[in-house]
Order: sequence, then structure tokens, then C-alpha cells
Amino acid sequence: MSKIIGAVEIGTSKAKALIGEVSSTGSVHVVGMASRLNEGMRKGEIVHFRKAADSVHSALADAEKMSGTTVDEVYLAQTGSYLKGRMLRGSASVSSSDNRVSSSDLQRASDEAKRREPDNGRTYVHHIRTPILLDGRIVQDPVGMIGSKIDLGYWSIDGDDQAIKQALHVISNYSLDVKDLILSSIASSTMMAGPDLRRAGTLVIDMGAGVTDFALYRQGFVAYTGVIPVGGDHLTGDLSMGLRILEPYAEKLKIEHGKATSEPMEDGDDVWIIGNKTIGDRAIPRKAITDVIHVRIVELFEIISKELEGLLDPDELKGGVLLTGGASLLPGVEQVASKILGLPVRKASFPTGIANELAQPENATVLGLLHYGLEDHSLPGKKRDDTEVGFLSKFRKMVGLSAQD
Amino acid sequence: MINNSKRKSNSSKGTWQKLAPKSSRRPASKAALKKRIISISKVLSLVATLGIIGFVVWFFPSNKNNYAGPVDLTGPAVPVSNLVFISDGVLHRDWFQNWFGPLRNRTLMDFDIVDLQNELINEPQISFARVSRIFPATLKIEVQEKKPILRLCLRTKINGEETWLISEDGNIFKGSCYRKSSLSHLPYLNLNPSLLKKKAKDEGYEKLDGIPAIAPLLEIARKEYPGFYQDWQILTYQRPYDDDPGAFVKINSKKVKNLRFAPSNYSSQLRRLKFLLSDPKFKKSLNVESIDLSHDRSVFAKLGR
Repeated sequence: MSKIIGAVEIGTSKAKALIGEVSSTGSVHVVGMASRLNEGMRKGEIVHFRKAADSVHSALADAEKMSGTTVDEVYLAQTGSYLKGRMLRGSASVSSSDNRVSSSDLQRASDEAKRREPDNGRTYVHHIRTPILLDGRIVQDPVGMIGSKIDLGYWSIDGDDQAIKQALHVISNYSLDVKDLILSSIASSTMMAGPDLRRAGTLVIDMGAGVTDFALYRQGFVAYTGVIPVGGDHLTGDLSMGLRILEPYAEKLKIEHGKATSEPMEDGDDVWIIGNKTIGDRAIPRKAITDVIHVRIVELFEIISKELEGLLDPDELKGGVLLTGGASLLPGVEQVASKILGLPVRKASFPTGIANELAQPENATVLGLLHYGLEDHSLPGKKRDDTEVGFLSKFRKMVGLSAQD
Repeated sequence: MINNSKRKSNSSKGTWQKLAPKSSRRPASKAALKKRIISISKVLSLVATLGIIGFVVWFFPSNKNNYAGPVDLTGPAVPVSNLVFISDGVLHRDWFQNWFGPLRNRTLMDFDIVDLQNELINEPQISFARVSRIFPATLKIEVQEKKPILRLCLRTKINGEETWLISEDGNIFKGSCYRKSSLSHLPYLNLNPSLLKKKAKDEGYEKLDGIPAIAPLLEIARKEYPGFYQDWQILTYQRPYDDDPGAFVKINSKKVKNLRFAPSNYSSQLRRLKFLLSDPKFKKSLNVESIDLSHDRSVFAKLGR
């Protein structure tokens, strides 16, 4: 019997909703997808609730209409500069007399790691497990093995309570439950970097409109995530200010003539702002456009480089750097990134089997939400908590009284 | 159980689930409002459907099981407590109860009054019957009886000698509730046995044709000439019809052994008889052999010796 699941990304420029049908074999078939322009967000944060809600709800309604079904729960992407990650570590002694590790030992280590509470006014959004160490050795599944001490860590992302509440309220206002919050960078990494790349070590940079998310994988596990409040919209803003033109024209110039690399160009290589040579239209040197963009792109990667200082070891990151997100479509961005990060950089490509109209860099996060949500992230030896929604919960939701404890 | 719940509460501490809104009553967009309306409509439809199914499941079996026949508009049924029997003759309430049998707590609606009425009319002594219900518990029976004018004495092998009564219309019936004294003044009918025909199923005898022609004679005599009438003992008749020249009615009495009447204009004949018997000669005579009044203007009389 198939199951319907949904994913929502409340992006700075667009709200995206996706509905997938999970077959009994576990494969996902996308049955509905829609996106709407979002004017209620700035730099990944909701600044106008009703506008943001209207965009998200319209996208969800369109996706439901396309799929011919409805969803009860969705995976919701989280991004924004209010998110901070940190490593939480916990350990537990093996309790059995024969020193065989049991799932309860792992659970104790896990509880120990998660015991540390976030700062006041902040809440954990996502815990991403790091490798399990049994007496200092990395093991995949220690249950049943012999040892004396279990070490376990979580890369935990916490965020501002108010910002999280706003996002949750947008979803619940459409009579839906949020099944899980997933960090945008983790979602897009899951989609764009396969298990082999993650094991080899890779840095996935998702260049969105409002923010740039990145996730660094080492030995198959997340080692670091971050959010830089710089995205494609900033390039547009820079062009608008630098060239003294309106934002719509700046956006048009960025898409049609923008380049991340600043190369010497011949004089007279100009572009027209509007293009019809009417009053107000004027020619701008192409070099001026690329210079403005180049400066901002360089700044962005320098911030990432600075934040990941010490982690950008080419020996640990044999998979190199993958760029995704709408802003990664900018020509020459990978050369700039490679020069600054000192690592091989390429634009990420979708795995085979995804339809061309879906396989666009700006869809990486929303597609990744479904894939990450379907993966089993529970501790070894523990069954995944995948309880179906009860009749009363569904009834409550139907009448708009969705409640979560 | 306790450990599980503790663990659950620990694991949810500091996580985003606690920030999820408890309820979201005001839709913030048109799409959310539309979804809310559709959801509520679905719930209402579901409730309405369940309600209809529940009503059908409840209503039909209970109606089927509780069907108690036609609706009784008379209110709660009460057994008949009063029986009113009205007759213009000798029949009375006890006769009816004996004839009908015990009422056995039957209510008014338990009686088929049309059927009862027909059965009463079929009784040979009764000429008319009316049965009516008077709610809440009275059954009213009204009857008109046939008046006996003659007695008929029959002797059969099985029952021996039996006295039957003959009504004005010629019906022959046994007669119930009559006192002997009330019947003793009725003359006997002397009848040729060939005129007496048995009914089917041995339920008495067929009606006698000539009696309606004789009845006025007896009626006038009883009312206007009781002195003659009480003396009449046996009546015989032969073809008592107006147009039959050989027809006659013959009466045997104590004073006049043979009185002969023609079956018409009885008043005139009786007046002449009175006139005749008022004659001193006839008064003195103790025994008159015969008087024949059947001739139009002449009277033939024979005095005894």
C-alpha cells in the first residue's frame, strides 16, 4: 500500500511544495509539485506572515490539485541566519556483564549527548548523528559487539524560538502537521551528494536567493553546517545599487549577462538595461556587471572559507565541493569557489531517474526533504518511530484543531 | 510504560515539537480557508451519512418489530363492561348472553358488529337487529321480534310432540323466552302435512305461503273481537287467496264448531258474525254447528241439536 508524503520549502524568493507517493518498495514517485513567489521572507526569515502563508498555502493547494490527493504531514525545510550548529557528545559504559553492547547503551549515550540544552529562547531544530565510537573505533552498528564504552555525537542545529514558531504556524494554518524539520543544507546534500561522495568527504553549498547553506561531510557523516545570509538576491541588490537601476532590471541583467568571474573585456562590450532603447534605457558595460557580481561571490566564498577554516582539508574532502541552488547557475561561480576554497568545485548534478523538469538546482532542497525524510536515522537496534496518524488526530486536523504535544 | 513516557518527555525536551501551535483557528490565506471549509464539509458529510445510516438501522428494524396492526384511534382498549339489549318482544339480555357465549374480556374493537348483526337477523324469531359500539365499554344490541299468531303442533319420530310458532309472515319458529300463558290463547293451525317443507340441513321448516292472507283475520279478531278470538281453537285454511273461488279459512271454536271465512274483507265478515251471534236465538243456543261467512251477502248457519 502506498503512502503520500509532502515536503515544503519556504524559500526567500519562492515557496515550494512537493507531494510524493512512496510505494511499498520504498521508491518515491513525485505526483505533485508547485512553487509560488514568496514576498514574505527576507534572508530566510519570515517578515510578513500573511504573505508568506499565502505563498506556501497556494503552493500546497496547487500541488495537492496536481496530485489529486491531500497530505496530512509534511517535512519542512529550515534555513536562515538564526540557525546555529554545534557538536554535542555523549558517552555511556556498556552495562551488560559480558560487555556486549545493547541498544539501551546506545540510547543512554544518545540521551547524554542531547542533555545539553540550547541557550534561552532557542530550540533544537535538527540533530544529525555523527559516527559511533566503540572504545575509540568507528563502528557502523555496535549492538552485539563487545566493548566497554560507547561514544556518540550529534551535530545539533538550534534556532530562534520565534522564527521556528512562525514557520510551524504557516504549516499548521493550512491544517497540516509538520512531521519533521530538516535543515535545508542537509536536504539538498542528501539529494545532490550520494553516499559515496559523502563517505569520500564533500562540501555541498546550496546558493539560494536569500541565504547560502552549506554542509560538510566527512567519512559519510555531517561534520559541519552553516548558513550565510548572502544569496542571489544580494547580487541583484548590489547590481541595483552599483549601477543605479531598478531591481527588476538588475535581476534581468544578472540572469542574462551575469558572470561570477571578472575577466578583461573589450571596450564597447555594453548591454542595454531595458533593451528597447526608449527613454530611461541606457547602456552599461558588461564588465561593470561582472565586477559587481564577482566581488559579492568572492566575499561569499571567503566567508564560507573562514567559517570552515581547518575543515577544508583536501585529503578529507576527496569529493570536492558541490554547488547547487538557484544562484549556482551563475556562469563561472565554480572557478571562483575553487580558487578561494582551494578545492575542486563543480556544479552538482541530480542522480538519474529524476525527470528533467524537476532536476533543477533550485529544486534540490525540496526533493532532498523527501529523500532525507524517508531515510532511517534512528539509532542502530531501534525501530523507526513511524506511527500512523490516528483517526482522532486526523479528525482534529480536519476541523482545524491540529495539536502536537 | 513509565520508563517509556519518561524517555519520551526527556527526548522532546528542547526540541521544536514543543513550539508547534496547539491550534490554528483563523486561516491566514484563501487556500487555507478553502481547505478548512472543505475539511469541515467532509466532516459534516461524514457525520450526516453516519447519522442517516444509524437512523435507518435503528428505525426500520424497530418499526418492523413493533408493528401492532392498524392504528387504534379509540385509545387504550378496555374490556366490554356493559351490555345493553333492547327488544320489542320477549327476548332479553340473558338470552343474548346465552346465545352469544361469554364475552371473555373482549374489547369493543374485538367484535365484528356487522357479522354479529347478520347472525342475529338469521335467527328465525328476530326480524331486525342493530349492533352498535358505545365507547368506551358498552355494546348495544337492538332487536325487533316476529309476533306469533298461531301455534303448530308437530309430532316427529325423534323429538316426539313439539309446539312451533307461526309469525304473521308465515315463518315457523320454535320460540324462545315465551311464557306458556302468553301462548295459550293462540289458536293451533291444522295443516295438511304436504304443505310443510323441511329446510336444508334440518334447520326447521320453510315459510308457509298462505299465512300472510290469514294474519289480518286473527289480528282484527284479537283486537276488535276478543270474545270471539279467545274461543278460537283450531284454524284450517285452503288456498286462502282472493282470486281463488274455492279458498276458505275454517276455525273451530268452542261456541261455533265450524266457522268459515272467505280470505278477504275480514272486518265485514266479523261484523256479520257479531250481528248473528247477538241474535237471541243464537245466544240461547249453546251449540252452534256451523256458520259460513264466506259468501258475499248470505250467511249460512246451522244450529246444534
